[in-house]
Order: sequence, then structure tokens, then C-alpha cells
Amino acid sequence: MNQHPAMWGHPMTPHQAFNAHTAFPLATPNPMRNQHASSPVSHTQQPLVTGTSVLGLKYKDGVMLAADNLASYGSLARFRDIQRLHPLGNHTCLAVSGDMSDYQYLKKELDGLLREEEALSLSDSHPALHPSQIYAFLANLFYARRSKVNPIWNAILVGGWDATKEESFLGYVDLLGTTYSSPTLATGFGSHIAQPLLREAFEKKAGIDGKGELLTAEEAEALLNECMKVLFYRDARSLNKYQIATVTKEGVQISESKSAETQWGFAEALRGYGAQQQ
Amino acid sequence: MSSIGTGYDLSVSTYSPDGRLFQVEYASKAVEAAGVAVGLRCSDGVVLGVERLLHSKLLVKGSNRRIQSVDDHIGMATAGLLADGKHLAERGRDEASNFRDTYAQPVTVQILSDRLSAYVQAYTCYGSVRPFGISTLVGGVDKTGSRLFCIEPSGVFYGYRATAVGKGRALARTELEKVLGKVDEAGEGSLTVRQGVLELARIIHLVHDDNKDKEFELELTWVCEESGNKHALVPADLLAEADAKGRAALEEGMEED
Amino acid sequence: MAMHAERSAALHELTSAPIQHAFNPYEDNGGTILAIAGKDFSVIAGDTRQSQGYSIQTRYARKVWQLTDRAVLATNGFAADGNNFVKKVKQRLEWYEHAHHKQMPLKSIARMIQTILYGKRFFPYYVYNILGGIEEDGTGAVYSYDPVGTYERESCRAAGAAQSILQPFLDNQIYFKNQTPEPGAEPFIPGNLPLSTVLALVVDSFTSATERHIEVGDGLEVYVVMKKGRPTDDLVGEGKLAPGMAVEELDALGEGDGEKTFLVTRSLKRD
Repeated sequence: MNQHPAMWGHPMTPHQAFNAHTAFPLATPNPMRNQHASSPVSHTQQPLVTGTSVLGLKYKDGVMLAADNLASYGSLARFRDIQRLHPLGNHTCLAVSGDMSDYQYLKKELDGLLREEEALSLSDSHPALHPSQIYAFLANLFYARRSKVNPIWNAILVGGWDATKEESFLGYVDLLGTTYSSPTLATGFGSHIAQPLLREAFEKKAGIDGKGELLTAEEAEALLNECMKVLFYRDARSLNKYQIATVTKEGVQISESKSAETQWGFAEALRGYGAQQQ
Repeated sequence: MSSIGTGYDLSVSTYSPDGRLFQVEYASKAVEAAGVAVGLRCSDGVVLGVERLLHSKLLVKGSNRRIQSVDDHIGMATAGLLADGKHLAERGRDEASNFRDTYAQPVTVQILSDRLSAYVQAYTCYGSVRPFGISTLVGGVDKTGSRLFCIEPSGVFYGYRATAVGKGRALARTELEKVLGKVDEAGEGSLTVRQGVLELARIIHLVHDDNKDKEFELELTWVCEESGNKHALVPADLLAEADAKGRAALEEGMEED
Repeated sequence: MAMHAERSAALHELTSAPIQHAFNPYEDNGGTILAIAGKDFSVIAGDTRQSQGYSIQTRYARKVWQLTDRAVLATNGFAADGNNFVKKVKQRLEWYEHAHHKQMPLKSIARMIQTILYGKRFFPYYVYNILGGIEEDGTGAVYSYDPVGTYERESCRAAGAAQSILQPFLDNQIYFKNQTPEPGAEPFIPGNLPLSTVLALVVDSFTSATERHIEVGDGLEVYVVMKKGRPTDDLVGEGKLAPGMAVEELDALGEGDGEKTFLVTRSLKRD
């Protein structure tokens, strides 16, 4: 299975040759080029600048999200100071993987929506949008765009705190309009590498029904740090510089960028790769 | 009114022989009948206030507000036809968000007022429409500081340190001049928004005609550091204080008379 | 002309270049659904796992939906299409209720679902639907569909990932296929099994599918719709359900004509 964002939305053909080490997809000629002006409208068929997986976790006081600061151009680590956590109002936060220009479009769209909501609320005092409402909006938007075969090439986690129900919210939505919720979530490569670690730690404390006591803020953050470290070791499109967003009833708080402590000493002993001789 | 029966007041696209547009002047009459709206620039922000006349005791408290938000940092108070005010505010929000999309920065109060005035002016050019029956105070804080503008039904707009529109505007303006006179004496920075709120509440109570008019609700908003440079309702406790002090000042004044 | 020939040659070269897949708007989210009609009841069931390839996306995603007081719909296939399809069906049912001051009868819902599915014949909902419930004559019914709206009323149907495991089992147990009555015994008549037997078949179906199919598991939701006035003690009575199962009666959505809907839940293996 190829977890490169460029392969999302493509039919699953595990054995199909795919070289992620080229500056994909620019190296392959695009048949849509050189076509007549009257040729069919073409839409985004592949992402260009991409962010890798993001993580989400429910804990005692709310939700935590994690995302690194890298935006890749194929295999090139193109932008290394990109924030992929985006607060929406006081009690919702997005963690975004996939195409970064689509992410910027989403930010603009949602910020505009929220600004208008806030402006209107002065006259009629209506409450701010709940996380579940923002999530529903995103799900409808993504599904509508996939149905026009013009997808928004992202997989997104929505984390939030519902002040009315006094409970946390965590949901996933992607370029196909697929939605689901779970106490722990991860997109892309993280769904293979981090999700098992998150589930194990979550269930160890809360039980498989999730009805037991949830992780504390310290435990949750330590768990996310560990997952981001493992991802950095194994995901070639990741960066050891990431942020964690915490959404509680107090609001959204996004951490400064930080790094996990890593050990690369073992690499010296490896044989069979790189320039060194046997 | 000399124009009546002359036929020059039927359409906004026809001037009278002496160069007037009667429909625009009639629109101003709609404004004159409305409860007063006041705006005041202070050293650290801007305050808007409205005397919201209650035509029925059955109305829900705080409903049908006449001050609206146009963008995070800009508010708008109207005097005249409430529905026209809502429409113009909607247009203002569109303009503000369009400006943001285009230039990636918040619109200044001046540019917004300019665009809104152009929109209002367009309703004085065609026989098929009627002019806006409102005067609009646009107030906010932008990169140039705190700003206040007033747009008339004709589409003309001016910048002000303080101004008032609607019923009793003449008295309100006189009072505002006194306030600003004191500021000029005391020097720059002597009038804060918190003081401004009290002044506006006092003036609105003073201007309100108890004999002719029904009850009213005091409506106050501001844009200042305390509100995070966002257009927001003045906090309930300060509003209550301002309302009480305004009422007290009025009673004091009566005793003196 | 020459230019045109050149250009089309170049175009041909480009379009026949290495396989470049277009965006694929579909996905298979696994899971399986099943419904069995009784004489005066109907049972509609589905597991709660949602997966993509070898990954479990969530252990709880709903696939079975209560539509009215006498209709329950199960969807399977592409989850996003399923959710949005159900949303549309529910909206149409609401409009019907506003217009007619009653809930839509089961057979009409069945036809409406065909119309909605066929409306997207050339960009189909990738969803296999099974509709179960009580007809106006009080009989239990099951309707099954293909993604573009072909439908028929049946006594039972399985669909989804484990269809190929479950349908032959149901054919044998519900339709008595490949069974021969004892000499002189009454002939088999499908659609007359008691609720307890049907429930046991449903549970065995899903536990078996869970064992043999990687996309099935986590949880089981079984909706039981009963004709009005039918005794409920064979479901809610003490000791009627196997250990580990729970049952709750669902509130009526409409006026409450007397039909009752129950939700029976049970966990399935998570591996």
C-alpha cells in the first residue's frame, strides 16, 4: 500500500510501480498539457506540495492533535516551517495532511465563514458554530467536490470541544468525502504506524469500550511525542519539528514547534546501504 | 414643502429646476424620525451608541439591534429604516470579505465607507429605485487608528471626530462639541473609550424625548483594546453603569432647571 | 493540416504515455449487512467496522438506519456514498410526511429508493442497500437492491464483503435449499421461522463472517421491526437473548401506529 499523498484516491494496486524518489509527479509527462483550448475542463488530479500524516487523540480534558512542520514537493523537503494545525474559533482545531494549496484554500474559506458568523452573531446573539457543525460543513464540502470529480486533496482531522454537551469531538474527513470518528485517529502513513500505538495506549487505560478513565494531559502529550518520533524514524516525508494542539473547554492552544530526541548511532553499524564499503 | 404638486418629486432620476433631488431629501426625513445614533472617536478606540425606541412593550429585550458588525474591527450604526440598515450591513460584510480575499489585509474604515457610499449613491441615480432611508455611522479601528464616518442617503460621506444622526441630532452634536472642546483643552489622550461610553449614554438620555417617545433601550458597542480590537458589545456591567449614570445626569439637569 | 496531424500525433504519444490514473471517486469500506423477513417481523443487521484496505478506520460506524416506525435501511459499500444516500432518503421521507401527514409506507420507500439510485445511473452511488420492515398488510418484508436501483422483495438477503459467505448459508437455512423433508413430513415454507431462530441465524452469520473475513467484525447491530400488536416477549423476555447481547426498544419516530422497533447489540471479535 502506498501512503504517499499523491497516491490517495487512486485505485489500490499494491504492486504497481511507483517511484517516490523522483520529484513526482512532475517527472512524468502530463497528457493534459498541449491539449486544445476546447478540451475538457481538467481538475486537480494529483497533489503537488504535500504535508504528511497528522494524529488525533481524545484525552481527559479534551482533544490533542499533532502535525509536523514540513510541506514536501515530491521527495524534496520544500518548506520546513509550515503550520498544519489551524484553529477555527474558540473550540475547534484542524490538523491537515495532503495538498497544501488546497489547505490554504480551506483556511481562507473557513476563516471567511467564521468571520461572517461572528459578525452576524452581534446582531442576533446566536451561538458560535460547534465543532460538529464545522465538521459537517467540511464533510459536505469534501463530498460535493469529490462528486464533481474535482477533489480537495486532503485528509483532515477535526478536534474540538462541544461547550453545550460538555464533551470532546474528534472526526476524520478526506478527499472522497469519507467520514468517521474514533477516540484515536491518524491519516496517511500514521494510520499504519501511529494508530496501533495510539489505540494500544488508549485502550490500556480506558478499556476497549473506552468507558474507563481517559489519559491525562501529560500522558496524552507523551504518547503523541512518542508517535511523532516513531513516524520521524520511519516516514521519509516527515520532519523532526512538530506542533501539538490542545482543545479543551478553555479553548484552543497550539504549542511552539518542538523536536523529539532521536538516536541514530545504530546507523553506523548498518551495512548494505549508502556509500560505505563492506 | 414647495415641491409638492410640481411633479419633480416623483422620481430620483429627475432634478427640480433649482437642482434638487426631492426623493433624496424625503429619504432624509425617514432618518430624522428615527431614534438618535451617536458615534465618538476616543484616544484608544471608537464607541457607537443608539437610542433604540421600543414601539411595543411586548418586544424581547435586546432584540432588533440597530448596531451591526461589518468585519472583526468595524461596526455600523444606522438611523432610519431598519431593513435598509440590514441590507447595507450585508453589503458592507461582502465588501469587507472581498477586500480581504483580494488584498490579504483587513479593509480600512475609510475604504469601506467609500465603497458603501458609492453603493448608496447608486440608489440616487435610477428611476426604478428609491434611495436608502438611513444615515449610517461606520466606526472602527484599523492600521490608521480609530476612525468614524457618516454616510447620508445622498451617498455623500464625511469623516468625524464625533457625530450624531436621527431625532435630536442637533442637540447631540452640540453636546459632542462640548465634550470635544474639553478634550482639546485637556490635551490629546484625555478621553478614553470608557469615558466615551459614559458620555454617549449621557447624551442619548439627554436627547431622548420622554414626553413624545415611548421607552427606549440603550445600545452601545465599541472597538478598543479592551475588546481585543474587535467590534463588540460594551460589557453588560459597564452598559448598566453608563445607563444609570446617564439617567442620573438627566435628573440632575432637570433639578437645576 | 500538417500542423494538425503533427499535433494529434504528439497528443497520441502523450495520451498513450505510461499509465496515469485519473482520480478514483470510489472506495470500498468493507463490512457486511443482512436482513431476514418473518411472518410478522423483519430483522435487519450489520456489523460496525469501517475499513480501507487492510486498515480499520473505525470500530464503530453505523450502517443500519431506522427510517420510519416500520422501515429500516442497511447500506454497504462506499461509506461516504452510503451516508449521503441515507441523508437524501431521510430528507425525502421528511418531505413526504410534511405533505401527507403520515409516514411513507414500506413499499413506497422501496420504490423511492430505486428512483433515487437510478437517478445516478451514470455516476452511481456505490452502495448495496437492503431495506427491511413491515408492509401495510402487516407482513415482514425485505427489499434488496443493486447500486443502480434494480430491486426485488425477498425473504432474506446478505450483501457486502461477506455476501459470498452468508448468502449460501441463508439459502440453506431460510429457503431450505438442498434440504429434503422427511418422507411424509410437511413441505418447507420459507418466511415462517420464529424470531428466536432468525436471531440465532443472524448472530451465527456474523460471528462466522467475522472469523473468515478480515473486513467484518468489531460490533453487531440488529434491528427488529414488529407488526403492531405482536407480542414482544420472545425478544425482551428474561433469558431470551444469549449472553453478551443487549436489547432496547427505540422510540417511535412518528405518531406511533403500533409497530415497534428494537435494537439488539452485541460485540464481535476485533482481530
